[in-house]
Amino acid sequence: MKLRALKYRKGDQTKLSNLKKGQKAKVVFLDAQDKALRRRLLDMGITEGVQIKIKKIAPLGDPIDIEVRGYELCLRKYDMSLIDVEVIS
Amino acid sequence: MRVALIGNQNSGKTTLFNLLTGTNQKVGNWPGVTIEKKIGVIRGTDYEIVDLPGVYSLSPYSLEEEISRKFLFEEQIDLILNIVDSTSMERSLYLTTQLLELGIPMIIALNMSDIADKRGIHIDLKTLEERLDTTILSISALKKTNVFNLIQYIKMGDYRKNLYQHIYDHELEEAIESIKKVTKSKHPQFLAVKLIEDDQTFVQYHNDATKQIVDDLSKRYLRDMEQVVADERYRYIENIRDEAVTANRDQMTWTDRLDNILLHRVFAIPIFMVIMFGIYYLAAGPIGSFTAQMVGNYMSIFSDWTRSLLIGYGASSWSVSLVVDGMIAGVGAILNFLPQLAILFLLISLLETTGYMARIAFFLDRVFQKVGLSGKSLIPFIIGSGCSIPAIMSARTINDETEKRMTIMLTPFIPCSAKLPIITLFAGYFFKGNSGLVSASLYFFAIGVIFLSAFIMKKFWFKGKHSSFILELPDYKIPNFKFILFDVYEKVKAVIAQAGSIILLASIIVWFLISFSWTLRYGVDPNLSILASIGKILGWIFYPMLGTYSWGAAVSAIQGLVAKEQIIASMAIIAGYSDTTSEGVLIFGSSVFSFFTPASAYAFMVFNLFSAPCFGSIGAMNKELGSTKKMWQAVLFQTGIAWVLAVLVYQIGHLIEVMI
Repeated sequence: MKLRALKYRKGDQTKLSNLKKGQKAKVVFLDAQDKALRRRLLDMGITEGVQIKIKKIAPLGDPIDIEVRGYELCLRKYDMSLIDVEVIS
Repeated sequence: MRVALIGNQNSGKTTLFNLLTGTNQKVGNWPGVTIEKKIGVIRGTDYEIVDLPGVYSLSPYSLEEEISRKFLFEEQIDLILNIVDSTSMERSLYLTTQLLELGIPMIIALNMSDIADKRGIHIDLKTLEERLDTTILSISALKKTNVFNLIQYIKMGDYRKNLYQHIYDHELEEAIESIKKVTKSKHPQFLAVKLIEDDQTFVQYHNDATKQIVDDLSKRYLRDMEQVVADERYRYIENIRDEAVTANRDQMTWTDRLDNILLHRVFAIPIFMVIMFGIYYLAAGPIGSFTAQMVGNYMSIFSDWTRSLLIGYGASSWSVSLVVDGMIAGVGAILNFLPQLAILFLLISLLETTGYMARIAFFLDRVFQKVGLSGKSLIPFIIGSGCSIPAIMSARTINDETEKRMTIMLTPFIPCSAKLPIITLFAGYFFKGNSGLVSASLYFFAIGVIFLSAFIMKKFWFKGKHSSFILELPDYKIPNFKFILFDVYEKVKAVIAQAGSIILLASIIVWFLISFSWTLRYGVDPNLSILASIGKILGWIFYPMLGTYSWGAAVSAIQGLVAKEQIIASMAIIAGYSDTTSEGVLIFGSSVFSFFTPASAYAFMVFNLFSAPCFGSIGAMNKELGSTKKMWQAVLFQTGIAWVLAVLVYQIGHLIEVMI
């Protein structure tokens, strides 16, 4: 639980699922082993280098709505933990 | 000439299709409304246009996307009309660049240009046209701007020829060229890219030479080729975006403001409950049952009037009985509920078009995840309160096989509009003071049964594995009332058509079976009729939930397979017939059904709500589950649960009744 409270700052490398609402990050690596899932994430525009912003969090804490390439996409936390990012702000 | 209309999910394809063809296909504001291709003719031409389910990419993820891909790759298409959502250009162009690789002439319609304008997104059409070498038109399907010009363009045929632009880096492009030399296809460029990506659906096109080329290539990149292709494609699009699109970033849209309230950490769920209660209150609750009573009064006046009219003309007693006790009693029992159903259809349509539906899926996903379902299951469940058939079909958008199968099996548990008459009738008669509460309790009962069954299935049947939830959250839209009214009108029309065909026919059959004995003597005591003898064979099934052998309840419940509203129609005929005073439609006053107590009434409702759905829905389940065996499993599972619950309800309820 303590880890969760940790706030990631600019330049930190972490998983997308660890970010707070309003934070921005750049995708570094897509760690999804499931081929179909990775394909879908790629198709939805989550490629290496793309900027992601945490926009809305569901009232029950999961899933999370992110802004990517100018539109909004909902993902479950588990899937977001497969995306390695570098924090921008 | 054949035109294929294709674009992302929820990009307004169907709205445009309706405008181009002058038809009225169903539209909504959640990803995946169109699940099958629809064919029409463009106004003022003889061009065929095909509306394909929305896709994000030509590497399909769910079933309805597979339909689109297959169609584009295998069928003869003369022109692709690619509809692009101006408010999310990057993601849309990802599909566009794949479509260009098919080498089919293409026109791009930039839709929602009005919304993009308002958001400060400016698109330089000329640069975009240059870069893609494709004719581009800015339109708004909703406001009908520029649609006429679009038709003109299609008619004239003078669009740019979209020569292929180099979008990948040097090495990839070279590999594509060499693959094109050693393969044969209608779409060589597209196939070459798919072979490099190692797309499993195209393995049969591989030969030794192509395998060699792809092997060499992946050795040089040392990365998964699928990822390389996607990266390169998006890099190319980013370049185009930088040249042709300017946007004010990070501004607060009114969708964001609305979401701040509707998706609020504390208020979201209470607001959702209020909305659901409102829908229930208007459709199933007090307002709905009030309209049903009102129409019912007119119906019995009409019934009496017809009777005296026919007798006045000197009609024989059996023909009067056929018309009044058979046809009018049966069909009328359904038509009573027409205004109530119209209210329900209107409210569901509103949920679908505003964009709130996708939000419900979003914030309840967590709850559904716990029992092995997905937030997306909620879309079929909500549509299912109208009719199970489209609801079962809409489960296609769920990509995980297990979640999809469970959703299909559970959707019929939601009381559909045809079951609403059963609830209204029983709750209104047996729970007079608390009819609202009782009918509400049945919806909660249904939700409870869904969660319980999902839990059981997850535990013993489909052992848990991880699944994903990937859903685009659309902007809120003010619904187009013309579309909504048309949607409601179509559904109401379907109910009337069903009442006038299947229900009418079934009513005549029931009338015949109850009017005649096996020796074909007319006017026998109903207890000696053919119907009664059939019912008596089945009576034991219902004994544990009714506390008595009732042939009338048994035959009526079985007829629920034809259509759930037929249960009421059948009971009305049987009651009207058996009753010596023959006083209209007061079903429970008749001797055949006077045995019902609140406990058995509730149990009977539970059975009919949760047992096997009507043939139409069973057919839909068969189609969507993809196997007759799975369909039978589903039907038996549903009926089994329904029987057990109904028996439990009666036994417990009866105990309470006896004690009081």
